[in-house]
Amino acid sequence: MTRTSRTRSGIRLKSNYRPDEGASETLKTHYQDNLGDPGSYPYTRGTRDNPGGGWIQRELSGEGDARRSNAQFKYLLEQGQSGVDIIGDSPTQSLMDPDHPLAKYVIGTQGVSLCRHDDYRELFDDIPIDEISISSSGPPMFTVASLYLLAMERGISPASVRGSVLQFPFYAEYCGYAYKMPFDLHLRMTCDIIEFCSKEMPKFHGFLEDSYFFSEAGLNAVEEAALAFVEIRHVVRTLMKRGLDIDSFAPRIAILVNCSMDFYEEIAKIRAMRRIFARMIKEEFGAKDPRSMAVVIACHTSGLSLTTEQPANNIVRGAVQTVALGLAGIQALEISTFDEGFRTPSKEAHLVGLRTQQIVDLEANITRVQDPFGGSWFMESLTDQVEEKVLAMIADIESRGDPADLVTGGYFKQFFEGAMSRYHQNVSSGEVTKVGLNVLQVPEDEDKLLRDVSEAKFEPLMERAEQLRIFKASRDQSAVRESLMAVFKVTSTDENIMEAVIGAVETGATMGEIIGVMREASGTPYDPYGHLTSPIEG
Amino acid sequence: MNSIRILIGILGMDQHEVAAVGIAKMLRDNGMEVIYAGCFNTPETILQSAIEEDVDVIGISSHSWEYLYYMPELMELLQKEANPIPVVVGGSVITAKDKTALGEIGVASVFGSGTNDEEIIGSIQELAEAFVAASC
Repeated sequence: MTRTSRTRSGIRLKSNYRPDEGASETLKTHYQDNLGDPGSYPYTRGTRDNPGGGWIQRELSGEGDARRSNAQFKYLLEQGQSGVDIIGDSPTQSLMDPDHPLAKYVIGTQGVSLCRHDDYRELFDDIPIDEISISSSGPPMFTVASLYLLAMERGISPASVRGSVLQFPFYAEYCGYAYKMPFDLHLRMTCDIIEFCSKEMPKFHGFLEDSYFFSEAGLNAVEEAALAFVEIRHVVRTLMKRGLDIDSFAPRIAILVNCSMDFYEEIAKIRAMRRIFARMIKEEFGAKDPRSMAVVIACHTSGLSLTTEQPANNIVRGAVQTVALGLAGIQALEISTFDEGFRTPSKEAHLVGLRTQQIVDLEANITRVQDPFGGSWFMESLTDQVEEKVLAMIADIESRGDPADLVTGGYFKQFFEGAMSRYHQNVSSGEVTKVGLNVLQVPEDEDKLLRDVSEAKFEPLMERAEQLRIFKASRDQSAVRESLMAVFKVTSTDENIMEAVIGAVETGATMGEIIGVMREASGTPYDPYGHLTSPIEG
Repeated sequence: MNSIRILIGILGMDQHEVAAVGIAKMLRDNGMEVIYAGCFNTPETILQSAIEEDVDVIGISSHSWEYLYYMPELMELLQKEANPIPVVVGGSVITAKDKTALGEIGVASVFGSGTNDEEIIGSIQELAEAFVAASC
């Protein structure tokens, strides 16, 4: 067993750090330029001056149908959770209705099954959507459309709804959940949602850049940050080309980062990302509003860092990662729970995850002092090195051509495949140490603790396909058809899609139908898997 | 014998590809010909590709409970077609109990989390050689 002398992104660590580090000079002469107090530019030390403010504590939830997931939310809120985080099942995440033939064995088993406004009504039943933060890892367009409609139905201003939707137009097809649509359409959807939110739901983060999903392909911290920025920069440029003022949407850009077990580098990554973002938005994109420059960082701890061997060890990993994130300063967190290797979180794992956050926050008092590593010879040096490598990598990628062409040309696909192979090799060879997996294993028959909870399964909701068919037949068919035609038409123009989508959602059109029609209007098949026919054909 | 040909694919809506891609590369590095079928397969598409590509082994990667439903379908399909291509399954979600159940329906080898590369290569080699010998 070896202890590595490099961070996962290859930065060499010294045995100790001294005042003559390069960073130490900068500390004296360039404190304000490079660090600044928490809450001041360039926000290296944190975006807010809010000691003891903690973070939004939530755990990824959703299983079965909306009603069952609503009960999960309520349970976690009773236990002190301060926001909700929703994950859809894999059909939902891939914009597919549960009556699709490919969905049948996975309805509701890896997240909640959502495809129509009624589902969202049930999902948020008795949940005060204007009082807690609602974060969705599910389909951004439909979360926003339904939250908007729900607020209107409840007589609440949509402008009072807080939360976020994950956006991943560049990388979704390769690691995450495939949308199976032309890249231009995916990017346009992303931009339409952000533009819509900046006008109608200004407290809602319409752009939570998702560097979690793609970095789970085995990327290191530098690669994760660089690819996140390449995507953010392209989306920002696209929105500015539409004539939007940077300060109209940048205050609601946030980033959902990953957190591996590489403790120091993950802290340095977050500090460096805040600084890079602030300078980029101010100097390159010309923002004037300080809120545009201060990026909200949320985190989902790495599922890939966990093991199915000795699942109880994952609780320790989650705690170590939470301490790192508390020290780095973040605004929201979900811990990948101990049963992650087997399933989406069980009730037991949910509570352990939430309690881990609460213990680190409340008992250990981690956030009482902000950026406690600030001024450390080591941490400032590591932050500088991570920043330098991230900036170099962004420049390298952008020098290869228009990032949009790199997406469609397969550059990132190759990048991720390379990272996946490298990760496999590193774990096989022991270069990445995983206790219980490649070192310090125990025999299978002795590996009992928390296995029963982790391995417990439940059945997919196969009956939901039939229920949806009955629902579809019960709708006002001409209103549904008309609303889908409106989506088709507006997709063929440059206008914002959101209004037509909200109109369709209101008539009872489903997510799969709306997306299918948008695919058709973009010249691609209604059902990319070739099983379904379009409801507006003929 | 000629180099071993193996099809690697994922069934249904499971989109966790890290292991499948990693294993495909590792097998290629060890001299096998890997036909990578990616995600969104059904038992029918797996069998069709296996026949078209004339493979010696079918490898299914799984990180979703869907395999519990699809694997019996795939094995039944192979039986119906009287096709003796050996099938192996790998994935972290597979528990000891599931492993036994997969064996009972005729899956030749199951690789859970933590199986080392040598064991995977050895098992595939053995199955492929037996399959080729039997088809001669």
